[in-house]
Order: sequence, then structure tokens, then C-alpha cells
Amino acid sequence: MPREIITLQLGQCGNQIGMEFWKQLCAEHGISPGGMLEEFATEGTDRKDVFFYQADDEHYIPRAVLLDLEPRVINTIMNSSYSNLYNPENIYLSKHGGGAGNNWASGYGQAERLYEDVFDIIDREADGSDSLEGFVLCHSIAGGTGSGMGSYILERLNDRFPKKLIQTYSVFPNLDEMSDVVVQPYNSILTLKRLTQNADCVVVLDNTALNRIAAERLHIEAPSFEQINQLVSTVMSTSTTTLRYPGYMNNDLIGLIASLIPTPRLHFLMTGYTPLTTDAQVASVRKTTVLDVMRRLLQPKNMMVSTPVTRHTNHCYISILNIIQGEIDPTQVHKSLQRIRERKLAQFIPWGPASIQVALSRKSPYIPSAHRVSGLMLANHTSISALFSRTLQQYDKLRKREAFMDQFKKESVFKDNLDEFDDSRESLQQLVDEYTAATKPDYLSWGSKPADAAEGL
Amino acid sequence: MSSRPSSRGAGDSGTVQTLLRKLCCKITGLPEGEIQPYFQHACTILSSNFSTPAESDEHQVSERIRRILVCQGRERDAIRFAELHRKLQSQGLVKNRWAVLYVLMSLSENESKHAKEKSSSSLFVRGIPGYSTSTPFNAGMRRPFKAPPPSSDNIRTPSQMSNNTTASSGISSIHSDVRSDGPTPVPQSFLPSTTFVSMDGERSHKHGTMSRFADALSKTGSDNAIVPRAGRNQTGMMKSQGDNTSFEIPERELVRDLVFILQGIEGKWIKFDVTKDAYKADKQVGIPQAVRLLVSGLSECGWLLNKVKNYVETRSADKTFGLVGQSFCAALHQELTEYYRLIAVLESQLQEDIDQGIGMNVSGISLRRLLVWTFDPLDRLKKLAALVDICKGKKGGALASAIYSYLRHGDPFTRSLVKHILTMVSQPIYATLLRWIYDGELEDIHDEFFVASDPTVRNDRLWHDKYSLRKSMIPTFITTDQARRILLTGKSINYLRQVCLDRSPIKGREAAIKVDTSHAEWMFTQDLSNNFLNMIDRVYKETSRHLLDVLHSKYKFMDHLKAMRRYLLLGQGDFIRHLMDLLEEDLAKPASTLYLHNLTGILETAIRGTNAQFDDLDILKRLDVRLLEVSPGDTGWDVFSLDYHVDGPIRTVFTPECMIMYLRVFNFLWRAKRMEYVLALIWKNQIFNAKLLKSIPELSTILHQCHMLGSEMVHFIQQTQYYISFEVLECSWHELLNKVKEAEDLDCVIAAHETFLDTVITRCLLDEQSRGILTQLRTIFDLIIGFQQAQDSFYQTAQQELMARQHFAKLQKQRSDQGDWGLTEELEEEERKRRIEFLKTVIPTTRPKFAVLAQSFQDMVQQFLVMVTSHQDVSLRFLSFRLDFNEHYKGREPKLQSPANYQRMKKLT
Repeated sequence: MPREIITLQLGQCGNQIGMEFWKQLCAEHGISPGGMLEEFATEGTDRKDVFFYQADDEHYIPRAVLLDLEPRVINTIMNSSYSNLYNPENIYLSKHGGGAGNNWASGYGQAERLYEDVFDIIDREADGSDSLEGFVLCHSIAGGTGSGMGSYILERLNDRFPKKLIQTYSVFPNLDEMSDVVVQPYNSILTLKRLTQNADCVVVLDNTALNRIAAERLHIEAPSFEQINQLVSTVMSTSTTTLRYPGYMNNDLIGLIASLIPTPRLHFLMTGYTPLTTDAQVASVRKTTVLDVMRRLLQPKNMMVSTPVTRHTNHCYISILNIIQGEIDPTQVHKSLQRIRERKLAQFIPWGPASIQVALSRKSPYIPSAHRVSGLMLANHTSISALFSRTLQQYDKLRKREAFMDQFKKESVFKDNLDEFDDSRESLQQLVDEYTAATKPDYLSWGSKPADAAEGL
Repeated sequence: MSSRPSSRGAGDSGTVQTLLRKLCCKITGLPEGEIQPYFQHACTILSSNFSTPAESDEHQVSERIRRILVCQGRERDAIRFAELHRKLQSQGLVKNRWAVLYVLMSLSENESKHAKEKSSSSLFVRGIPGYSTSTPFNAGMRRPFKAPPPSSDNIRTPSQMSNNTTASSGISSIHSDVRSDGPTPVPQSFLPSTTFVSMDGERSHKHGTMSRFADALSKTGSDNAIVPRAGRNQTGMMKSQGDNTSFEIPERELVRDLVFILQGIEGKWIKFDVTKDAYKADKQVGIPQAVRLLVSGLSECGWLLNKVKNYVETRSADKTFGLVGQSFCAALHQELTEYYRLIAVLESQLQEDIDQGIGMNVSGISLRRLLVWTFDPLDRLKKLAALVDICKGKKGGALASAIYSYLRHGDPFTRSLVKHILTMVSQPIYATLLRWIYDGELEDIHDEFFVASDPTVRNDRLWHDKYSLRKSMIPTFITTDQARRILLTGKSINYLRQVCLDRSPIKGREAAIKVDTSHAEWMFTQDLSNNFLNMIDRVYKETSRHLLDVLHSKYKFMDHLKAMRRYLLLGQGDFIRHLMDLLEEDLAKPASTLYLHNLTGILETAIRGTNAQFDDLDILKRLDVRLLEVSPGDTGWDVFSLDYHVDGPIRTVFTPECMIMYLRVFNFLWRAKRMEYVLALIWKNQIFNAKLLKSIPELSTILHQCHMLGSEMVHFIQQTQYYISFEVLECSWHELLNKVKEAEDLDCVIAAHETFLDTVITRCLLDEQSRGILTQLRTIFDLIIGFQQAQDSFYQTAQQELMARQHFAKLQKQRSDQGDWGLTEELEEEERKRRIEFLKTVIPTTRPKFAVLAQSFQDMVQQFLVMVTSHQDVSLRFLSFRLDFNEHYKGREPKLQSPANYQRMKKLT
């Protein structure tokens, strides 16, 4: 019983990063685009059944559900060489195919109507696994389908599978450039409420940072979606390596995230990956060591979330998990940790014990790597709240003008009132407050005052 | 023999007397009336117990007479004698011709000597002082003149020379060795064909020895040719002084005595003095002090000879003395034979002198000369005696060591002697050694070899207990490391044959053993060549490699090692996790209610459900469940253990002791894993309930309390687990793999594995020293379990409350749907009361409960950290380092600050 994980890909963005993710996984496990095991993939120590199951004809099928309200991306997938990989029954395209028009409320509303169809697929998939560990949701929070439909599905998943974990890979919009989606802040804030309340772990993939990394680190001037998504798929696949290559620790999702998330709401994780080079020349110059990798991972420029450096708030790490891959001398890990502590390279929370966790993970033997050591960081850092604050600001700007409200009012959620907006805003504000509180020593007794007040009543 | 003539004389005395009378007349040339005293003297001689030389050969006697005549310059007489002799032969009248001749010869020879014996004879009195002073003086002066080799030496053909040098060894070879000045020749007895032929000294059947005898004879012959000339010169020169001889025992007598003494037999004058443990000349006898000294010096040979001889005789008879001892005896015997040969030469020389010296009072062999001739043999005997002394009571390798200690002797002759003996002595050791390292066979009935075998040991302990080094028997020329390798090599072969059941021949054995057999001296000439070392190394490496290859390929050692890591050290995380999932319920029950067969079934399920199913079937078959001893109050968690069955060769590495260590480590890791598991459940419960209980805001503080305590516990356990994973398992595993990869022999592998286990045991706090820390850790574990239970019951209560509220709300909705006005007052009052009750009871009791739990947990952890920080093992500091990475506890616990400061101080200095 492999503690299966079902991946739900929602919307244009979700399906795109999902596709890259499966490509990566297939390559790592030696599975051909058709789902058959490659001849060279004889080493049986990897666990394929967490993310795949085997059909009667031995071919591997991803535990993935592809959902979209418009056919463009899914058609691209179906026309690619990976078309035979997926279970066609798991691909759901809305019949009218009009999309959600970048409108959260539209996506949410359509999802509500498609509930039966969608959950037929999810239920079937869940029943097909022996001990389902949870769901992974891939989506963007700015669009229509990913955010709206995603929000709806998150809520329903919570109802139907209250004890299953829900992890999301959520792509945050690029705030540096003007987006063609003007209602982006609305969509974001509505989705963020669900991510706060209904998801257990959110891996934040900030398009701003991803674009910056592509430009600065990879020297790509105008990075394409595919290139960005490749970064995302690297993060996704690496963060699941400990599940797919079992070792002494971190063999399941819960073990992986439990130590990262001390309190249920502070579950927004940043990621960092190094070395991020596609250029072979650079690779040959660089000598990667464990210390080198761990130090780089702590540098903001390698983080896939762009947070403004604010001096006045003492933002700090709540927890860090480094997944290191490659040829590693385990004795180096300790030395690196010592060095990092001596140099005080990482600022930790003042209210409890915290440290850098290091997980060593095997690397796929089928993919040649230019680097001896590579590492992924999953970090719970309080500065992520800056991202939310910025969203709140943008939302407030739009909301003040009541801009583009009409589209939303058309949908059933907002037919009667706009309470949902206020509710979401409040929820997000609470999250920002909690993150801020977590930077202070009195976080231990956080929330006791309102409780006292309640007691007093 | 000496009695024969006299007995005959007694038979028909008349004839003899007439003949004797006639003889006397003839010899003295006096008229018959005046010969009466001579006749009587002749009678005494005949009737006396005069010893005769061994030869009863007529021809030899006649030759001797002739030679004496020639020597005396009476060539014509000699010719005449020969003529007369021939006539006598042809006539055949006299039957006992040789006796007659001998009598005649003796008469002529002993004339002067006889006179000397009668010291009262006034005729020679005046010669006393001359003899006592001049002879030693002359002898001393004369030696330099004698020293250059006699001219006849040149007559020796080179072939004779080479014959001597090549064919002889031991004492008689010394002179030729010195002269030839070349490298020490290899004596025949060194050749292997003759080495083991006999131990008892019976050599006549040996081909090689026969030829040696012949050589010795021919040599004697040539010596005969030389010595008389020297003797003639001497006698010629001595002649003038001859009259000076004193009343004392003549030198010749002494020399004769000494020749006996040299053979270890008492002489006429020189007897063995028991009190002084030496040969001493009779005190009553008049011998000058200087001569006495000389004599006692010479007689040392005899004493030494006896000593060596006794040793050889007693030891040869000793059946338990062993092969090495017997070889030593044989070597000694060989030396003694050479010595005897010298004695034989001396004796014949002496005899010749006697033959020649008719009417003369000086012998060809003087004491001085004897001293010179026995100089080297004496030296050699001394060395032999010394060897005998140090070898007393020793045998086998110890004996060889004793002899080896003399190999460093500064004297090259001694060195070659010792080397020769050592070669023979070490031959059996070497032979045993070769059989051992090439075939693994140990034939050592006398316990001489330095490898001992215990036949009572069974195969499963063969590697560990069966063979051992017999420290006392390791020859000193073999280093301990070499001895270890030799032991290992043979042991490996036996192990391969008996435990691994591997019958494949050892590569190159035949060729190698052929080359190696004849080089016993390699062992103790290691400072000159690396041959022995190379050979041992080569065989050791080949055999060990072969053994490791068999272990790796046939018995899949690495697979088993990895299996240990995966199952007993929980490396196969998914399997362990799944097993825990399945077992959780069962293990919570009391230990006494567990049934092994149920658990085995669960184990099967866990294997089938995880990646373990892809493992080798053989490995999975060995995997089993085991219940440890149950003590009262134990739950399943306390007694459950995985087990791994080992048998055959791998058992040598995974000994029962090692397996017990594995089980202990498993128990520790299993407990730690359980904590991780429990905390995952706690965490999952938290996030589930956090969503669920959102609707009761009064609970939020308690929930937050739970989250805080939970996260602290998670941190503690996670960091402990990371510590175990890195510092305990990964690092030592890494080292183990490297060592196994580089291992030269099985012992290296075993040692590496034991080091690995020891490290793991120590770092898992399972050793004696860490008992306190471990107890502390267990208490912390118990607290976590306590927290789990407390939280579970709290959540249960909270959920009940939630359900009641939901029920109430539903009722309310139902009512309003039905058109009623909400609820009745009673119901609302009931609901209000229940809520207040809940808030009043649950919250005030739960909060302090968790607060106490949190406080005691923090105290425990801080105490634990203090204990760990002050622990001797530095690696445990890694644990405290990890647990308090952001120095959260350090700020609260003053005790934690000082050691850290101390550490920093240490680093600075």
C-alpha cells in the first residue's frame, strides 16, 4: 500500500505545469511517453505506485485528473507524444468549452454545476488506491478555471475526504508586469481564502520570481511558459523524491510537511532550487558541495518567491527542509549545518526550536545530471505574508473603485451580495496577522486574548 | 686383539721364547749371553696388555715398517725388508704374518718410549729440564715455520681441492672454506633429497653420504701424504732435543689421551672430574702447569661434545619432540659426524706418527698442533653447545626462534653454521607452513607450528574460534603481521572448504608450491630478500580475495548487509511505515495477547504492499517477526521486533552477538519511528480538527496550545530522527561500505561490521554510559504518548460538543422549516446550559493540563540536552546541536550555556 497521491490539474496553468511534471516523473522512473517501462529501467528500488498505477497491460498510468473548462491546453497534451499516458476517463473538458473567462466566480460556478461529473472521476481514482494519502492540486490563483474551479474543488475535497491531505502547487501571478487579467487581485484573494482554509500545504510558485530567476539565473530574456514550467516541474518532482525513493525518513507526504508546518494556517511554503543552470559550461566551472548548495538555498535570489526585503519586520524562518540529491558524503551535512549556524545565515523564529532539516534523497539513475549535488529547499518563512499583503493592497485598490464587479455579480456566488469578498479579505488579513505574530516571541500565547475575551462573555 | 699374541705365547712358550731370544740377538747384535735383560723386556712387552692399532692388515703393517725405514733414511734396509717380506709370504710357513710383523715393528718403535715410561731410568734423567722448558718453547717458535703449507700441498690437484670444498661440510670443511675464499658452498646435506632421509644418524644407505665417505677417505689419504712430510721435518728438527724428554708423561701420551678426550672418552691420564664438571689431568701425574692448561683447554672439546651428544641422544629418543626438534637433532648429528671425521683423521695421523716414530720420542702431533687443529672445531662445538643450551626445553617455532637469535652473530663462520642449522630446523616449519597456506591442512601432531587448531569447534564458529596463533611458537623471524596473514590464509581455505563448501582449486597453487618448497631460508633472510614476504602476501591476497569473491557472489554478502540496513535498521521506510500502519492496533494490546502467527501474516502483507516485494526472495524468506521477552505491563510496542535469519557463511559476519546488537538497535529505532508515527497522527489530527472546530472559537487557544506543543515535539523527534539518519546510520554506513569495498580479507569485513555496529550502538545511546540519557529519552517518548492521549480525548470531547451543536442547529432548522418559531425555550435553555457546562469544565481543565504537559516536556528536553552536551562522545553533541539549532533552549537553560561556551573557548585556543 503505497500511500497514493492523486494529482488534480486545473485550468490552463495547472495542466501545463502538470504536463511538465509528468514528463519529468516519467523520465525519472524510466517510463516511456506511452506508459511502458523502458528496457533500461530495471532497477526496482523506486516507488512508482505513489504517482502511477499499472493497467492490466502493465503500462503505467498517472494518478492524475485533468480538468479544464476550455480545450486548448488539454488538446495540446492529447496531441503530444504523451497522449497515451493518461487515462482518457480522467480527462474532463467542459462540454461547452468556453472557459471561465479569467473569472473566479465563473469557474467556481461552473465547477458547482459539474460537481457530479468531476467527483465521479475523483471518487473512482480514490477508490482505486489502497491507502490514499492525499491530493495534489496544480493551478494558478489568478485565472478563472484554476482559481475558481480550484477553490470549489478544495472545499468539496475537504468535505468528502476530511482526513486526506491536500497539497497545492499554486502559481501566483507576476506582479511586476501588467497582466491581461485585470481582475487578478479579485481572483487571488478569493482563492487565497480557500488555500488558507481548505488546503493543508501550499507550495507557492511566484511567477514574478520565476521570471526573475529565468532572466537572471538562466539568462533567458523572454522566458516562455514552457521554460518557466520546467522550473516548476523540477521543484515538484524534487519535492516528491523522498516519497518515490524510500529511505529512512520522509517517506510520506505527512512526514514531509508535518515538520514544516507548526500550526495549521501557516502552511504556505517557499521553494528554492540550486544549481539552476541549463548551460553546461557554467556547470563545469562550478563545484557543487553540500555546503555550497545549502548556502545558495538560503540566498533570496534563488527563492522562487519574490518577497520585498523589509528591514523593520523581523521576518524569519519557521522551518526549513533541504532535500539534497546527488553524491553526498553524509559527514558534510553536519559541517554545513555548523557553518550556517556560525555565520547566522538563517534567522529563525524566537518562540520555539527550529532548525534546518536535511533529507538526503536518491537521484534517478536514468537522468544524467551535470551537477554532483543539487538541492531543493522547502521553507516556511514569515515573509511570505508580504505577498499576501501586496495582494490585499491591489485588491483594496480595485475594490475601492468597485472595478470590474459586474462580471462577478453575474455569477451565483455573488448574486445576492459581495460578502464573499469581504470574508476572503478578512481571512487573508488574519493570515497576514498570524504570520506577523509568528515573528514575535509571544506567538506561543497568540490568540489567547480573543479567547479570554470569549471566556469573559 | 691385543691379547692374541700373548695368549699364543702362553700356548707354546718354548718356541716363542727361542724365537724371541733369537730376535733379541738379532736386533741388539749382542752375543746370546748378554741379551737376557732385553729378552725379559721383550717378554714383558709381549705379555703386557699393549693395545694394538685396529688394523690387522699385513700389508699395511709391512708398508708402515718400510716407510719408517725410509723415513729414517735406511732405504736399503727398506728394500731388503721388502725382499724378506716377499719371501716370507711366498713360503707360507708363518701363518700369523701380520702379527709377527707388528711385533717387530712395535719393538722397534717402542724402544725409546718404553724407556721413558720407566721414569726411574737414570739414563734420561738429565733430559728433564730440557724437555719441560724447551719443548713448549720450541713448539711455540716452530709453529710459524710450520704454518706455511708443506710443499706437498702443491701436489694436490685442483680437482681434489674442489672435491673437498664441494663435498664436505661441517668441521672438516672449515679449512677448505677458509682457503677457497669464495662464497660458502652449498654442502650436499643442504640438498633436499637428503634432508629428511634419516633422523637417527644412520647414513650408510644414503647415496650422498656414501660419496662423502669416499671423499673423506681420499682426503685422509692426501692428508697422509702431507702430514708425514711435515712430521718428518719436525722429527728431524726435534731429534736433537729428543733426549731432553723428561720423566713427565710424554706429550705423545697426552696427545693420545686427548684424542680420546676429544671423543668424549676418558683417557689414561686425563679423567673426567665430576666435581668440576670438566676433564682434568690427574693431579698426581707430573704434568707442567702450562701443559695442564693446554690440556684442559683441549679437553673442552670433549666436554662440549658430550653435552651436544647427550642432547642429541636424549632428544632423538623423545617421540614427542616433534619434527623441528628432530631436524635440530639431525643437524647437530651431521655436525658431530663431521667432527668425528676430524677425530678419525687425527687418530690415523697419530697412528702414523706412532708408526714412524720408532725409536723416537717426539710425535708428529704435538699438543700445540692439536690446539691449532681443534681450534675451529672447538669454536664450532662451542656454538653448538650454546645452541643446545638455549634450545633446551624448547621445541617447534620457539626452537627455531632460539636458533635464529644467533643468526645475527658477527662471526661469518658462526653465521654460516647457524644458517645451515636453521635451514634444517626451519624446514619442517616451512613445509607445514606451505601446506597450510596452500591447502589449509595442518599436520602438526606435536604442536610445533604457530597455528593451532581446536577440533572441537563447530563449523559455524570456525572462523572465529577454530584457529588461533600459538604465540610462543611464532619464530621470531616471522613478524606478527605475517603470522596473522598466514593464519588467515589457511583459515580462509578451510573456511572456503568447510563452510562455504567451495571446492574450486586455488589458482596457481601447483606451480607456486613447486617453486616455493625449497626455500625455507627465505623465512629468516627477509632482510635480504622479499621473497618470503611476497609469497605470503601473494597467497594471502589471492586466497582472501577468492574468499571474499565467494562470499559476495555465491553468498550475496552485500545483499544481506543491505537487507540488514533496510529491515533491521529501518532503511526501507515505506515498508516500515506500512508495517506500522498494519501493526498499530495489535501492538497497542498487552504483549501477552500477541500471537506470532498473526504478526507473521501482517509482515507478509506489509512486504507485499511495499517495495520490499521486489527484494530477493531469499532475503524475504529470512525476514521474520520476533517477540522479545515479555515483562508484566508491556505492550506490543515493547516486545515486537523484526528478525533476520542468517545461516551458512554469512553467519560468520552476522554472528549471534551481532544479531542481538541489531535487535537492540532495531528496538531503539522502532521506538523512535513510532514517535514519528504518533506525531504524524497528532499533526494530522490537529489539522483535521483545526478545520472542524473552527466553529467553536472558544477552543482556539487550546488548539493553538496543542499546535505549539505538537510542533515542539515534532521538532524534537524529527531532529532526533535526522540525527539517527545522518550521524548514526548514514555516516557509519558510508564508512562500512568503504571498508568492505577495500577489505583485503574476511577479518577486515568482520572488523568493519563490528565497528559499524559498535558505533551505531553507542550513538543510539544503547551503551552503558548513556543509560541515563536513554532513560530520559524514553521519558520524553512517554510524554509524547501522553500528549497524544490527552489531545485525542480533548478532540473527542470537542467533537461531541460540536456534534451536539450541529444537532441543535439542525433541529432548529428543521423546526423553522416546519414553520415553527425556532425552538422551545426549554431546548434553548438546555443548549445554553450544555454550552456553559462545556466551556466551564473542558476549557479550564484542558488548558492547564496541556500547560503542564508542555512545561514538563520542555524541562525534560532541556535536561536531556544538558545530559547530551556533557556526554563524552562528541557525536552526541551533534544531536544537541541539531535539537537546539536556533539556540531556543540555550536561552532558557543556563546549564546549556556553559558547555557551549567551553566548546567555543576550546575552538579558539
